[in-house]
Amino acid sequence: MIDAESVSDVPSRAVVVGGRRSRQRVESLPGEARRIGYLYVAAPFVLYAAFNLVPLLQGVNDSLYNWDGITPGTWVGLGNYTDFFTDPAIRDGYVHVLILMFFYSFMPIVIGLFLAALLSRIRIRGLTFYRMLLFLPLVITDVVTALAWTWIYDQSGPLNTVLKSIGLGHLIPAAGWLGNFNTALPSVGVFGMWGQFGFCLILFVAGVMKIPASLYEAAWVDGAGPVREFFAVTLPGLRYELQVVLVLSVIGTLGTFDEIYIMTSGGPGTSTSVPAYVVWQRLFQTGQVGSAAALGIVLMLIVFAVTYGLNRLMERGASE
Amino acid sequence: MDVSSPIARRARIWLLISLITLPAAACTPGGSTTQPSAPPAPAHTGVTEKGPVTLTVWDQESGPVSRIWDRLNAQFEHKYPNVTIKRVNRDFSQLKTLLKLAISGPHAPDVVEANQGWPDMGQLVKAGLLLPLNNFAKAYGWDKSVPENVLAVSSWTSDGKQFGTGNLYGYTTMGEILGVYYDKKMLASLGLGVPTTFGQFQQDLAAAKRAGKVPIQFGNNDAFPGIHEYAVIQDQMASKESLTDFILGRRANHLSFSTPQNMRAATTLQNWAKKGYFTPGFGGGGYDKAVADFAKGQGLFMITGNWIVANLGADNRNFGFFLLPPMKAGPGPVSTGGAGFPLAITSASQHPDVAAAYIDWMTSVHASNLLLKTGEIPLRIGAGTSTVEPGTVLADVVNAAAAAAKANGIVPYEDWATPTFYDTLTAAIQELMGMRITPQQFVAQGEKDYSDFQSARK
Amino acid sequence: MNTASRTQVAINYALIVVCSLVAVYPLLGVILASLYPPGPGSAPSGFALPPSFDWHNYISAWNQGGFAASFTTSIIVAALMVPASVVLSILGGFAFATMRFRGSRAIFYLFILGLIIPTEATIVPLYYDVRAMGLLDTYWALILLETSGELAFGIFWMRAAFLSAPRSMLEAARIDGASSWRTLWQLLVPFARPAILTLTVLAFADSWNEFFLALVFTVNHMTAPASLASFSGRYTTNIPLVSAGAVMVAVPILVVFITFQRQFMRGMLTGAVKG
Repeated sequence: MIDAESVSDVPSRAVVVGGRRSRQRVESLPGEARRIGYLYVAAPFVLYAAFNLVPLLQGVNDSLYNWDGITPGTWVGLGNYTDFFTDPAIRDGYVHVLILMFFYSFMPIVIGLFLAALLSRIRIRGLTFYRMLLFLPLVITDVVTALAWTWIYDQSGPLNTVLKSIGLGHLIPAAGWLGNFNTALPSVGVFGMWGQFGFCLILFVAGVMKIPASLYEAAWVDGAGPVREFFAVTLPGLRYELQVVLVLSVIGTLGTFDEIYIMTSGGPGTSTSVPAYVVWQRLFQTGQVGSAAALGIVLMLIVFAVTYGLNRLMERGASE
Repeated sequence: MDVSSPIARRARIWLLISLITLPAAACTPGGSTTQPSAPPAPAHTGVTEKGPVTLTVWDQESGPVSRIWDRLNAQFEHKYPNVTIKRVNRDFSQLKTLLKLAISGPHAPDVVEANQGWPDMGQLVKAGLLLPLNNFAKAYGWDKSVPENVLAVSSWTSDGKQFGTGNLYGYTTMGEILGVYYDKKMLASLGLGVPTTFGQFQQDLAAAKRAGKVPIQFGNNDAFPGIHEYAVIQDQMASKESLTDFILGRRANHLSFSTPQNMRAATTLQNWAKKGYFTPGFGGGGYDKAVADFAKGQGLFMITGNWIVANLGADNRNFGFFLLPPMKAGPGPVSTGGAGFPLAITSASQHPDVAAAYIDWMTSVHASNLLLKTGEIPLRIGAGTSTVEPGTVLADVVNAAAAAAKANGIVPYEDWATPTFYDTLTAAIQELMGMRITPQQFVAQGEKDYSDFQSARK
Repeated sequence: MNTASRTQVAINYALIVVCSLVAVYPLLGVILASLYPPGPGSAPSGFALPPSFDWHNYISAWNQGGFAASFTTSIIVAALMVPASVVLSILGGFAFATMRFRGSRAIFYLFILGLIIPTEATIVPLYYDVRAMGLLDTYWALILLETSGELAFGIFWMRAAFLSAPRSMLEAARIDGASSWRTLWQLLVPFARPAILTLTVLAFADSWNEFFLALVFTVNHMTAPASLASFSGRYTTNIPLVSAGAVMVAVPILVVFITFQRQFMRGMLTGAVKG
């Protein structure tokens, strides 16, 4: 789930990895000894290396062993990685986040685009206020919003009350939305969709505002209807925002943890397990620490591949 | 290639960086842990330290038992004014997860409730996080106070490789038993009596279903209740010796989980779910809610452990308790249970002597008598249960436990069998009862976990 | 073609209002629930108002959930982490934006790598590293990890902000013979104030909302979200009580966000459009 942090990763991830790079010239302030640069960078770099880079190498190392976390580990090489193909418990986690991406990434984008298209390009009074409200799901602590939705899904909660009152009570699963094997994951998905759609909407609306009016006028002159106008002017104009949201949401979904811990604990059974949750379980509960490390490394490789792939895809679209 | 070219220069930098950092990273993770030696027998029992002592205790008790703990703690502090008890209370699942982290970190607790078996106590012993209590046991007479099998399940060899034997790491004088609670009025209104055979029990279930009642009150969202349902059925179909050996990992050629008996038990459990014998929507129901609903009269039976006597009220005469009967009347009763949560002393404790005195206090006859009212079963040899009023639910529980103990028919909890068995079994039972897997797949999942662990043990 | 008809305006407002309601409803629901009388079975089943407005839940939740301790932890951690990460990002961003030195590109790419590294990839070794440092279950574990976790983005963000400074300003400083330190703090930082403000809000949000790290590294010194999770686990059936706790945990970040939301939005949206 994207939290407020990744909101502004917007320029960074989309721009740097395999994508456009800002070609701004960097010049020394003349008269400065070059060494000063090292001094400024030293403090952040030391902290960063100690807690991000070195552990990364250690993580790769740990992943090559079967380790219970206590006694010395036994070397298995890539054994923890081939588990990916043999252990359904691991595979299922990744399948589940894939499914969640439909709710966390695809649907919010579609909804955001649809709504942004519907909204005419006029000034909305009090937009700041509405923007603030739409941003809240992303800004408020995950634990709080996940709890809120657990209660919405409760057997005697608002969702069921509404369904029953409109005669759809028979749809309610006996074990509850979060207790039924088939509905648990989609229910978490709907929560994520709610969390992300506001951000998409704001971003797309802002993006639409920046599309030059001349393009719309040209389309109108050409006799384009609203649908053609959308695909010809709006969508291409939102290319950058789309790229950003797509990359951020897909990567964010891969790291889903908080809501699984709060809403389902990976259950019922293992129907809502996700890689981050399995990592935590294996580190603390079952003592499969080498495997946990491997899962983390695999997650990073997937993030890298997705970022690179998505950026390439968007770039290719841009050049057409 | 020109050695001073930017590419070569960059390559040199990377080489330098990796040469520096890799050795830091590349080494076998995990160090050898030193096993702490047993603290010597104290010269005197009780608290002999004069200065102020703070004893940090971690437990997972709740409800009436928790309140009794508060009382016992206060009484201990009163007896030894220089001792302050700092009590940290968490729920069962949280304690399971956090214990290792807590003991191996700074501000480690002194005394902890450590669940027996491979997932919890086994891991702690292996990591050298618990102190062997042998000398304390001799000094305080613990080794003579309870039956041998109670001490055995808290015993581990010092390398943490085998349990059921070796050093004593935890001690308790209270026990647990799983069985069937029943609503007396509902049973009578259906024209049924307490079943004496498994077949009769199944008939009772069918009769309740026909009459529109909930045969078995049950909620499995928390995952652990499923173990109760499966275990008691399994106890009637597999031999108690093979089950105990399986759980303790005893025989040289290890036993298997893929047995016809286990499969029969799984099939039975799934059939009961299929026939709707459990609370509708049990997959999403909470355990606490199920207990509360049962107490309100919703449900003919509830299959769980002695501890809900605390929720029902020890003096309650509206509910009764019996052990799930065997397939054929005759052989003695068999059920899952045994020693309750033992107390253990961590190797980080600065005051093991004080901790031992505390444990002795919490397991004393005085404490047992207080806890008896909450349904905790006294395991002490010769413990009297005269304070229990006949005809109450507590009386039923205590008598059933005594009968099982006498017939030597108590089987340990199955989730103790491997470090991952709790997770594997609870998830598999949820899927079995949710009709997501067949009994074959169920035993296969359990067997994969078990055999993986056994081969890793060698 | 840009004059909108009255129906278009109405549709616009309707859509925005409906979307905002959807976004806010669950949070309103939690506030509403916290006003119900405590105890199992007492919870909003729809949009009804509670029978009475019971504020005592907040007091009970505060005490029973141990929020005094966990709020203190969260505040201390944020109070140290936010300035630290912002200042370090300013220093690093400044260096990358205005100076050329051997290996600066390599080091910068190493920082960018941090944007790709998910927490899960390093959490296993970090646990043992932190334990070896004797920092398990301390404020410092969270402060250090959260700060270093913020640097990858923070440095990129500040570098981009400083790069957009007009060269004329920097040239004038050079002519005046100003040191790099003075140039940074007296010229560039005031210039990039909006960006710095946005970064500060983000850093605070990250710190306050952080759950996974708190779960892994703390036991007795939990942060507010972690203690809320533990609290809800102990009182699963008492929705009103836990709701009160949830509202309290949400308040600080809500206050910070609302106070700075205008600048935050501006900074975020322009950053999004910047190449």
